[in-house]
Amino acid sequence: MPSGAARTATGITVAIARDPALVRTVRLVAAAVARRTSQDEEFVEEVRLAVGEACALLVGQDVLPGPSPSPVEVRMRVEDRLRVSVVAAGSVAAQDAPTSDIDGVEPWALLRGLIDDFEISQDAGSTVLSMSWPLS
Amino acid sequence: MDLSLETRHEDGHTIIEVGGEIDVYTAPKLRDKITELVGNGDYNLVIDMEKVDFLDSTGLGVLVGGLKKVRAHDGSMRLICNQERLLKIFRITGLAKVFAIHGSQADALAER
Repeated sequence: MPSGAARTATGITVAIARDPALVRTVRLVAAAVARRTSQDEEFVEEVRLAVGEACALLVGQDVLPGPSPSPVEVRMRVEDRLRVSVVAAGSVAAQDAPTSDIDGVEPWALLRGLIDDFEISQDAGSTVLSMSWPLS
Repeated sequence: MDLSLETRHEDGHTIIEVGGEIDVYTAPKLRDKITELVGNGDYNLVIDMEKVDFLDSTGLGVLVGGLKKVRAHDGSMRLICNQERLLKIFRITGLAKVFAIHGSQADALAER
């Protein structure tokens, strides 16, 4: 499935196939949404990095058996905070195991260090990465 | 923006000038270049990241993997990076203490 974007009542939802080449598209959309909140460029860069990182981690995860891999969905809402959820079918280990690193880099270290409000949850067979930032 | 890689030899080191975005899609290209260089006996690498405008954990993983490869041959890997947004990523992940990060090619090549 190609990348697609839809304007919802409260924000933007982007769904991409599990193709690493499409993660950049999500980063560009995330940066555009962040820029609309009138914060500084450092904030925009942080959102771009965090959303891209979350998306990359779920694009690369093992998926449930099925006729075709399900997409990774990124939901962005601007409310009292900028709220982003990245959702994909399948489950991931929420804690880094000592042997789970990618050539020495713990998969979640960057997201946990970057965002104060970051959560990993499981919901009906899907993994949800939730993050939010305060808006001034 | 795709990833660009330019390689040259100087003062006993192999300098890889990287440009563009190092992410889950492009990082394998950098990993392949490092693997190729180490395979050719180039064990002292300098990765110039001045023209890199995005780096994620996949890219960090490739750099750490490269460091392990050259160290296995008693070699070295030095990074050139002045951009605060990239330096922040190294600090958050604790890798600022793992890599020798320099502000310029001259500084990187001057270190003994």
